[in-house]
Amino acid sequence: MVKLAFVIDCDRCIGCKGCQVACKMENELPLGHDRMKVCTVGPHGQFPKLQMYFLPAMCQMCNCPACADVCPTGACRKDETTGVTKIDKNLCVGCGKCEKACPYGCVKINREAAKADKCEGCLAALENGEMPACVRNCSGSAIKFGDINDNQSEVSLLLASVAPSMVYGLRDNGSSPAVKYILRRDEWKDILPSECIEHVAFKRGGKI
Amino acid sequence: MNEKQFLDYLASIDIGADYAPAEALLEKKDSCAHDECREVKTACRACIANCGAIATVKNGRVVSLRGNPEDPMSKGRLCAKGLSGIQALYHPNRNKYPMKRVGPRGSGKWKRISWDEALDTIADKLMETREKYGAEAVFCSTGGGGNPEIWSIARFCNIFGTPNWFEPGCAQCYLPRVLTYTMMYGGIDPSIADSNALELYFPEDTPIKTLVLWGTAPSYSCPASGGGMVADLRAKGVKTVTIDPRFTPDAAKADIWLPVRPGTDVALLMAWIRYILENKLYDAEFVMKWTNLPYLVDCESKMMLRAEGRDDVYMVWDKTKGAVELSYPWNDALDVELDGEYLIDGRLCKTGFRLLWESCAEYTLEKAAEICALDAESIEKAIRLFADNTPSGIALGVATDQTPNSVQAAMAAATIDLLMANVERPGALMQRFRTSGCMDMPNYPVPAAMGRLPHEQLKKRLGGREHKGLGIWWAGSPAKILETILTGEPYPLKMWIDRSGNKLAATADSQKWEEAIHKLDFIVHMHMYPTSFSAYADILLPAEEWLETDMLVETCNTLVARQAVTHLWETVDETLFWSMLAKRCAQRGHEAMQKAFDAEYMGHDLPYWESMDEFLGHWVERIGMSWKEFCEKAPFEYLPKDQWRTYYVYKQPDPQNGYKPKGFATPTKKCEIYLESMITLGRTGHPFMPIDLEPADEDYSPLPYYMEPVESPLTDEEYPLTYTGGRVPYFHHGTLRNVPWLREMYPAPEMWLCPGDAEKYGLEEGDWAWIESRRGRTRGLVKVTEGIKPGSVYMERFWLPENLDKDTHGFREMNVNMLTKASAPYNPEIGTYTLRAFQVKVYKAEEAPEGVWLESENFKQWLPVADDRTKEVKAW
Repeated sequence: MVKLAFVIDCDRCIGCKGCQVACKMENELPLGHDRMKVCTVGPHGQFPKLQMYFLPAMCQMCNCPACADVCPTGACRKDETTGVTKIDKNLCVGCGKCEKACPYGCVKINREAAKADKCEGCLAALENGEMPACVRNCSGSAIKFGDINDNQSEVSLLLASVAPSMVYGLRDNGSSPAVKYILRRDEWKDILPSECIEHVAFKRGGKI
Repeated sequence: MNEKQFLDYLASIDIGADYAPAEALLEKKDSCAHDECREVKTACRACIANCGAIATVKNGRVVSLRGNPEDPMSKGRLCAKGLSGIQALYHPNRNKYPMKRVGPRGSGKWKRISWDEALDTIADKLMETREKYGAEAVFCSTGGGGNPEIWSIARFCNIFGTPNWFEPGCAQCYLPRVLTYTMMYGGIDPSIADSNALELYFPEDTPIKTLVLWGTAPSYSCPASGGGMVADLRAKGVKTVTIDPRFTPDAAKADIWLPVRPGTDVALLMAWIRYILENKLYDAEFVMKWTNLPYLVDCESKMMLRAEGRDDVYMVWDKTKGAVELSYPWNDALDVELDGEYLIDGRLCKTGFRLLWESCAEYTLEKAAEICALDAESIEKAIRLFADNTPSGIALGVATDQTPNSVQAAMAAATIDLLMANVERPGALMQRFRTSGCMDMPNYPVPAAMGRLPHEQLKKRLGGREHKGLGIWWAGSPAKILETILTGEPYPLKMWIDRSGNKLAATADSQKWEEAIHKLDFIVHMHMYPTSFSAYADILLPAEEWLETDMLVETCNTLVARQAVTHLWETVDETLFWSMLAKRCAQRGHEAMQKAFDAEYMGHDLPYWESMDEFLGHWVERIGMSWKEFCEKAPFEYLPKDQWRTYYVYKQPDPQNGYKPKGFATPTKKCEIYLESMITLGRTGHPFMPIDLEPADEDYSPLPYYMEPVESPLTDEEYPLTYTGGRVPYFHHGTLRNVPWLREMYPAPEMWLCPGDAEKYGLEEGDWAWIESRRGRTRGLVKVTEGIKPGSVYMERFWLPENLDKDTHGFREMNVNMLTKASAPYNPEIGTYTLRAFQVKVYKAEEAPEGVWLESENFKQWLPVADDRTKEVKAW
């Protein structure tokens, strides 16, 4: 069965955040609303022995998506042909339950549309034979997308090229996130995107 | 102009009454069927990297941007700055029409005028100023980001007859490296952010093993090209060393990070040289045969010894014969000493090698560790990684360009690579690859017409005598221009035409510049949108955004067309503007300007052009195309990769010289580590000046040396912290602070302090704090991080477009150039002033700067708006 998901090589992510802008442009997202963010993990350690890596965080393409579980209208559900959880905007009532349920902060209410909104892998671009906007525009070629159940896909081959001990996922609270992160040298930190403040101004305003 | 006034004003005016629409462009738009989409292959100019881009245009409006995979450097990627091109293009506060100030300076009262009136007014003023005070009383400037090219400004000045043009970069950014590498080996410098080090863009087969990122962060300066390239190299196993007081992404991913104390880089470089010499890690054969280090130097005159009556035959020391001539390129019959000192005809002479050793002898690892606040062991590891794993190379960034020790840093870095023979071999950064031949100077095709400046005017160039290295760009010194405006000595400056981003955010000691501005009679500012500087202008001109402009771009072995995707309002291509102004001066009887339209008279300097098609057509004619044909075909490879990457150019047989090896493009045809030509430059201006100028006060040094910053933490008790700068990936120089997508990610500059320093000065993360130097103070938001060298504070440049209507005009609130130093000491060769590595103190601010926008909601006011019908300016 097809399971589309992102595989992200953190050693290649240079933290430029071009993917965030590419996503906003492609999906015509309003200001203040994002489907992804690049999290800066670190620096950890003591000067000058430090480590820092970047974690592009978007929908984790969960196998058992918590957002779909709590959706009262059936708007939010996993598409069986792609394995991607999508939100049917015609059915969504903007109740915000999915936003609260997502352990990764990756489903949010688009306040202009008053509907839930999340990364759906730019499936329209995919139908035109193109990768998602974040993948196409990634300056470090860090973000890859494809069928992780096909062992000949680019993402599967990438995963197979590194030791299993260097492949990570975000903390699993039961939703079984499918997005994989590769980190070879640095120590993986068990950090959720919501814990990463990308600019000190956001800390003051409580913005994530 | 305040924004509300600006918007009110726009709402009130009758758009398009004065000009006929551009038939051709409108036709193109009208021919689009309903919802017709087309894709235009162009090239970004949000910074200077020129990444290939594809614009999707729907019914004449740009709706989407992405990278073009045909670009061999950016390979289909586009960064946050480039993608933001749409929001920059359709920004509601674009400069849309020429405007004339109708209130006092800084009042923000403007009136729309026609291009005819604007050009007539400026030309009248130019002629009047020239008549009353001499042409030198006019000065022009560029820079600040987003400029399509720089030579139009120099060209206009040369023909007008003023020697005074400048940019805030130049001696503070890039010129130190251009000058030095040009003089030392005659090829391209290894700056990644300036789209050099092209060997590295072929990760599939480049043999480079170690890359040193010295004061550069490609991940932040040019993510889509250089940032991605370094990521590719790291992925294939190339080792990297990063030298930076700030823990950047490139530092985090490096094998060795050396967080050098800001401003001490040259001490560290000298230690590298010493270590390589002491441990004989250099390439002995290359150093002997292809550098001038074995050449004998007269210690008193500091000049190399020549053969009797020959200026181009140099002397070496043979172990048995003593001082002998060395015929180029080498004489195997000689047994040449590399290191030594001798009495020759009663004169003390030393080899270049000995002099190099003496220049760095005191910089042991321990000494450098002490000066740079590093540990000796890490320095040694870094040098070993670099020297034991060759080919290797140092990509020198802008950091060292921003202190008065600038040229010396470039000389030392080049010396290290040359000692290792990291030049023109596969894997080396220093290369002379082929070019398309389409342009005389790739990517900067406007001929600067340097020879048109009368010699008596050239002698008046501000800073031209003291800092003769500026001559390579034919530029004046901003510090000297500032001083001249303020003092009126040696002559008055009266009129300023500036094309650029925010001068008050880009030049050192902004408040001094504001003071100077009030002393000028007439100021013209041309830019895509109003900046702080605009408030002081008499005439404000609307420049095109990159999506409206045309330019010929060469990127590795590929030619790319930046082509106008659309055209809005009454904006004008800057490269055309100067031509329009030249015409008006010609009409007013300016003889040189009249001749500047005569093709035969101008020759290689080209006559002024009436359209970009005409101008760019001149260059692509060399490959048998019109500009239109070129645009249809581009991008395309002008040479296969393997023919384009020409290694060992110096070994090629030279038919002009009896098929001897071509050598390097230096006076000795060798790599000149002992840079005698620096001495000649300082004494005469040669090779950049057509006439001998009066000598500089002191000889320029032929070898690098370290200079402790004049404000130093070693001696400063009042200002205990050292300021350092550096990029974030959202902005280029002063640009893009008005783009919603970018400002919502980075709304205000972070002030980085290490935990110890934050505690010491009573600051917590998220606090607003003042940062103060001896020049002024400004504010930032405190970020407490281990990622900054203790004792240092990092903050990015910033200005606030949302505060243009305030008394501050948006440049005082959070602008590190309120702190920087435009006064002496200057770099002797080029006059670099101090933009980094000076002393500051920090303390808590009670509140945020008034009016600063921090919330996404605020930036909605800057979202794209519907554009006016496309017009072409007909002001000929």
